[in-house]
Order: sequence, then C-alpha cells, then structure tokens
Amino acid sequence: MYHTLLFFHLIAAFLLAVTIVMYSAVALGATSSPRMLFVADRCWDVGGLGTLIFGIWLALNLDQYDFFDFWILFALLLWFVATGLGQTVQRRIGGDDASAVAALHWIRTIVVIALLVTMVWKPGA
Amino acid sequence: MSVLAVIRPDAWDLPLFVHILGAMTLVGALALVLVALAGRDLRLAYRSLLFGVLPGWIVMRGAAEWIAEKEKVNDLDPVPSWVDIGYSVSDPMLLLIIIATVCSGVAVRRQQQGGALRGTALVMTVIMLVAAFVAVWAMSTKPT
Repeated sequence: MYHTLLFFHLIAAFLLAVTIVMYSAVALGATSSPRMLFVADRCWDVGGLGTLIFGIWLALNLDQYDFFDFWILFALLLWFVATGLGQTVQRRIGGDDASAVAALHWIRTIVVIALLVTMVWKPGA
Repeated sequence: MSVLAVIRPDAWDLPLFVHILGAMTLVGALALVLVALAGRDLRLAYRSLLFGVLPGWIVMRGAAEWIAEKEKVNDLDPVPSWVDIGYSVSDPMLLLIIIATVCSGVAVRRQQQGGALRGTALVMTVIMLVAAFVAVWAMSTKPT
C-alpha cells in the first residue's frame, strides 16, 4: 500500500514539475500558446490535488508519521502558498503586467522546491 | 519494507534531492517538448531539449550514481530489480535525447515546420515520457 501511494504521490509531484517548467519557459521569453498554458494549468490542478490527497493518505497510512508532525504541517503550509500563487499566475497570465506574473511564478517555483526539500529532509521527523 | 523505505540515513538526502530535482526537470522539459512539437514550434522544442531535457538527464543520472554509491546497491548480489530497471531506462534515454535534439535542431536550421524530422523527435519524446513513467514506478514501488 505504501509504495502504491508513494507512486501516485510522485506522479502528481511530477505533474507540478511540468507546470513549473512550462511557465519557466514562458517567463524566460518563450512564446506561450493557449495549448501550452492549458496543459500547464491542468497539470497544476491535477498535480496539486494529487500531491495533497496522496500525501495526506501516506501520512495517515504509516505509523512512522503523525499528521501533526512539523514537516507535514509545514509542507501543507507551503502547498497552500504554492496553490495561491499558482491560481494568481493563472488568472494574470496574458495581462499587461508580464514582469509581475513572472515574479510570482519564480516565487512559486522556489516554494515548490522548498516543498521538495521538506519532503526529502523531513525536518522534525 | 515500508519502514525501511521511510527511514534512511541523512547522508542519502542530498543525492536523493538532486536526483529527484533532475528527474523532475527532465520530465517537465519532455512534456514541454511534446507540446511544442504538437504545436509545430520546433525552435521551442529544440531549446527545451538542449537547455531542459539534456541538463535534467545529466543531473538525474549523475545523482543516481551518487546515491547508488552511498546505498551500495550495486554491491548487492543480486542487484535489486528496481536498480536494473533504472539503469536500463535511463541509459538508452541519452541516445534518444541526442536523436531528438539533432532532429529538431536540423529542422530549425532548415526552417521546416513538419516532416520526418519533427515526426522522429515526436516519437522519441513520447518513448522517453513512457520510459520516465516506468522509471518513477520502479523507483517508488521498488519491485524485487
């Protein structure tokens, strides 16, 4: 059960990576097509939901983890911050202020990397 | 086994982090290549292969060797299946990356929008994405 949950959790995390890479290309000057943004946004939606659901399921499934462990609560906080930033970027992309959208995207990227750091090092576990 | 998978020495954390970061960059860039090729944006596909997929592969593969050395998995007899799957998926991927990069690069130089070069790069990209999916499955479920 643990390995199956971890597999789906990782697949969801890789979907988030797809979004980050696609938006990074746009922020670095690539021409964004509606198709690219559609794929990136759906990957963010599915990946975000998947990491949350399978992540919590993993935490509840294993005796070694407690839902109220610091690293799990911190990861949840980072997840909400990343989701909020992602929603803002989705809303504002294509608008007038491209540099602000790019800045929000890079902040989101840092938050997602911080999530990965938290998942690997598990501070407080 | 679950307990063993959850608890690992601290010294493995950094190589694992770099390995996953490289793999995520690789997969994200491959998805970008796929979307770019589908939209006939060969310049974007070429740049994504050159500046995203190839560096992602190098980081992922280098960190894989790093963590394999830390875990000493290659010293085990027999070597676990998931390690073999990892090697047999990732090593040939470099050849596919080179073929896809050369094809898309030549197509950009010739200012072609479609044809056999784009088709070849597209097929290579799809194969690599499927291979990456298999690798994630092997790394997470660790079949013996």
